[in-house]
Amino acid sequence: MEEILRMEHITKRFGEFYANRDINLSVLKGEVHTLLGENGAGKSTLMNILFGLYQPSGGQIFLHGKPVAIDSPATAVKLGIGMVHQHFMLVEAMTVFENIILGDRNTKGIFIDRNARRKEILELSERYNLDVELDKPITEIAVGAQQRVEILKALYRGAELLVLDEPTAALTDIEVEGLFRIMKKLVGEGKSIIFISHKMREVMQISDRITILRAGETVRTVERGETTGEELAGLMIGRELAPSHYAKVTKPGAAVVSLHDVDYQKKSKHNGLNGVTLEVGRGEILGIAGVDGNGQSQLAQLVTGVIAPEGGSVDMKGSRVATFSPNGFILENVSHIPEDRNKMGLIGNMSVMENILLKETGDPRFSDAGGWHLKRKAMRTYAEQMQQKYDIRCTSVAQESRNLSGGNQQKVILARELENHPDLLVAVHPTRGLDIGATRFVHDTMISARDAGCGVLLISADFDEILEMSDRIIVIFEGKIMGEYPGSNPPIDQISLAMAGK
Amino acid sequence: MNKNRFFSILVPFISVLLAFLVGCIIMAALGANPATALGALWKGAFGNTRNVGTTLSRATPLIFTSLCACFAYRCGVFNLGGEGQFLIGSVVCCYIATQSGIVGLPAIILCILCGGIAGGFWAAIPGLLKIYRGQNEMIISIMLNYVATLFMGVIYTNWLREGSVPQTMSVPDESKLSRLFGLRCTSAFVIAVVIGILVYYFLFYTSMGFQLRAVGLNMTASQFNGFAVKRYILFSFIISGVIAGVGGSAELLGTQFRLINGFGAGYGFDGVAMALIAQLHPLAAILVAIFFAALRVGSTTMQAATGVPTSVSEIIQALVIVFTVAGLAMVKLPEFKAALERIFSAGKEA
Amino acid sequence: MDMNFVTNLLLASVRMATPLIFISLAELYSQRAGLTNIGLEGLATIGSLAGFMVSLLTGSPMLGVLAGLLAGILVNMIFAYATISLCAEQIVYGMAINIFAPALAAFVYRVYFGSGSELVQVKLMNTLSSSVGITPSNFFARLLLDQTFMVYLAYALVVFTAIYFNRTKSGLNYKAVGEYPKAAATLGIDVIRTKYLASIICGALAGMGGAYLTTCYTTTYVDGNVAGRGFIALAAVIFGRWSAGGVLLACLFFGFCDALQIRLQVMSFGLPYQFFQMIPYVATVLVLALIGMKKAGPKSCGKPYRREER
Repeated sequence: MEEILRMEHITKRFGEFYANRDINLSVLKGEVHTLLGENGAGKSTLMNILFGLYQPSGGQIFLHGKPVAIDSPATAVKLGIGMVHQHFMLVEAMTVFENIILGDRNTKGIFIDRNARRKEILELSERYNLDVELDKPITEIAVGAQQRVEILKALYRGAELLVLDEPTAALTDIEVEGLFRIMKKLVGEGKSIIFISHKMREVMQISDRITILRAGETVRTVERGETTGEELAGLMIGRELAPSHYAKVTKPGAAVVSLHDVDYQKKSKHNGLNGVTLEVGRGEILGIAGVDGNGQSQLAQLVTGVIAPEGGSVDMKGSRVATFSPNGFILENVSHIPEDRNKMGLIGNMSVMENILLKETGDPRFSDAGGWHLKRKAMRTYAEQMQQKYDIRCTSVAQESRNLSGGNQQKVILARELENHPDLLVAVHPTRGLDIGATRFVHDTMISARDAGCGVLLISADFDEILEMSDRIIVIFEGKIMGEYPGSNPPIDQISLAMAGK
Repeated sequence: MNKNRFFSILVPFISVLLAFLVGCIIMAALGANPATALGALWKGAFGNTRNVGTTLSRATPLIFTSLCACFAYRCGVFNLGGEGQFLIGSVVCCYIATQSGIVGLPAIILCILCGGIAGGFWAAIPGLLKIYRGQNEMIISIMLNYVATLFMGVIYTNWLREGSVPQTMSVPDESKLSRLFGLRCTSAFVIAVVIGILVYYFLFYTSMGFQLRAVGLNMTASQFNGFAVKRYILFSFIISGVIAGVGGSAELLGTQFRLINGFGAGYGFDGVAMALIAQLHPLAAILVAIFFAALRVGSTTMQAATGVPTSVSEIIQALVIVFTVAGLAMVKLPEFKAALERIFSAGKEA
Repeated sequence: MDMNFVTNLLLASVRMATPLIFISLAELYSQRAGLTNIGLEGLATIGSLAGFMVSLLTGSPMLGVLAGLLAGILVNMIFAYATISLCAEQIVYGMAINIFAPALAAFVYRVYFGSGSELVQVKLMNTLSSSVGITPSNFFARLLLDQTFMVYLAYALVVFTAIYFNRTKSGLNYKAVGEYPKAAATLGIDVIRTKYLASIICGALAGMGGAYLTTCYTTTYVDGNVAGRGFIALAAVIFGRWSAGGVLLACLFFGFCDALQIRLQVMSFGLPYQFFQMIPYVATVLVLALIGMKKAGPKSCGKPYRREER
């Protein structure tokens, strides 16, 4: 079959760091070619180079056998490359229609010829079964539909080669099936697809060939038929990683926090809670499973006092919570690993030391006269102890926290949130974007907090993480609780159905 | 000292040099000898103790308004209303000083206290509107500057007018601030410096100041970590207004003695500029204010000696801010850092 | 209050709204490309001086307006370079422009006219009716004919802007830059170029708004003659919900406040005139306080855009 794309010896350096080193990739016409690799393996960098968002430090790209220089996304589009980014590139303030025709250069005239454009788009959407509502604003359509808009957008620009960057991350299983049908249809019509993922099951289901990247380098390209999921996992991680196995707790202690029939903007499908009743006991991890955007953020903010429920009640250690404020919950010894560490967890422009001590500066250990004189020396000594204990890699505790890697930033937050032996820990996507080493560290730390009697509410969109960590599992869908399942030998099929709202 | 810190300190100095360079070109274009002009500028500002006193006296209100700007910005809110708060402070101060019948030290204390409270009250308006209505504090605080200026107009053209000239009556001699060493500079300067040190101490050596800075750098994270974000915002507005209000009172009691058209005009924006050049560091703000005042005082001598108009010094001041802010942004660019690395590594290899 | 008072008030409102329309549209074009420019006051000041000097030198108010336009663009290029290429904070740099531009204007004025206080005056732009040579008598005729070229231009610009942002391909792309520059870039829209273009338009319009004050409104230039219109324009953009039509209505409202205060001043009511002068400023505060924060404008406003992010 004809080779549509070849990337040879692609290298990309950021300062001293090689994001890509000597990578080779070849994609044939009409195939689904998977790029498999861990976070930070260099998949996104490679694709950003292909799409003209980054310029490679070395190497050559060939399209249809001819060398090309892709200096901007505009060039990439012109060459027939379409990309569906993991974080959708959709303008929320505009409608589906406007998003699809945005940046259009193929048509003449100054004004938008709505009727003609609509006809073209509808033809495309029928041909590839890409169902969209053209006049809805982006904010009013579901994630799966937004993805179809992205694909349609690329096709509308005449894409022959489609890059789908982790397209299944935000989808339910049902939506994933739909996406795969569309992908099959596309390759059947002669398009080529580069599919980026780290989910073995999906990779084995949809790919024709698979290229594995590790630490910025190509490991190997294999045919799907000649490999197994286990082999791929080994190639991806590069070493035999003993599967972590944490002992499950079956008899939790007394309830730390319990929610009774809690509502919050319950009409909202994506950002509300509807009649949620649950309880976290001492010394257990309650895992909340679900696809992103089904009310998890609101649940986390509710049990940390950031927002107040609109209906129902919350009991903290047996007594009813009257006023909701983050400070009130902190005084109740509730800790929080928030979903967005840069936005909600850390003050990026402050030092590691200041971030570790963020909530403690009024404490007599660190200031005299009720907070009116900080003991800088004591602060520094303590921060350095924490740096050792939590293995935070930084030039010094005076380094600004925004310059740390994601894993080290998360460790700063752990040092702050766990050192005071909380009664309740609310952890939201605690390992998102972290490499395996840091993930393991975060998990181990959470388990030891649990074993010390802390109740843990773990909210994660990473199903594997939920299965590995949870002593009990609750599935949330559109703000409602779909069911509760045991953490040991969980009924996986039932849980994934529940996550899709069945 | 790390590289970032080094450059952010270096930038203002380079900006000053560049601004002076442009100033010299302008002077030369106007037919003056830049060296003579700069000499006259220096002499006018620092030539003898009398001139130093004048410079410090001119710096005093600028210190107050730049501290006012610093304090609010440290909490992440743009209080552009320093001028209005300064004026409202001076208006209240003037009213009490001339109408209450109290004189001497009690009057001074009462005046400054009430002036500060008035300034704080004036600053609370944009603060409250920001918190409760989510509104843009910049526009509101600027609008209130105009209102304050007009209100001061009411005072000196109408309510407290003395004689045919539109100006208020003078504060009684007993209530004027005492001069230091017989110079033009008064104890107002001491108050300004003390407030500067207090602000510095508060921001960097107290738990509350620490939390206030955290709010300024990342409001969401501060809220998640239990800080009373709204209260800090209002607090920072009020304190910044109090500083400006005290400044207005001190200026009235120390230097001007009466309200008149143009009193305090431009001090608000000058304060913002100085705070930015000082990168919100209260002690640096004092030095920047003295520098600005020196330019202003010296430029009069310069005009007399060489005919170069005083407004050249205003251009230089404006260029310092234009260059500094651009320079500070530039040294943060990744391209700049990369270029720097190249230069340093090339140096090592050679 | 007789009929005459009302008609004069309304006619004056249109005149007073005109500079605001220019300056607010300047901000609208800037923010639609993701640049919050609070330096409008400075831009208008420099435009006002350039307009004054050139119409004094050439005797042509039209050339004055053109000069204001050019001066606005030139000064705003400093803002553009610093915020787009150097990624300086937009708010901070807007303040720098607000400090720099008036200082420059004051300097040029001093150098040119000396520090003497004699009043230099220029001829104002003719209204359409007087240049054609008719004297309209009734209200509507006056409203339609008794205006300067700048007034017609302002309304034409409003219509053009509304069509541009809602009906054209280019306008759609322009808006995308202000909402989500990264997405715009992936679609082949040149974000940096759009932002520079926006800065040119912004400088030009703000400069013209300033020039209006010295070519169509008062015969002389004084420091501070822009009198906060740059900031009121910011409020007008918020009040007008980032649409051309909304901005027009907001400007007419603020223009009305301005016209009202001038007329009330004359009538006095025994109050010091300064209280009436406060009306436009107080109205701005009240309007902002009342509308609250329902919609916050283009999403990328205030954020720097870097091409290769890492």
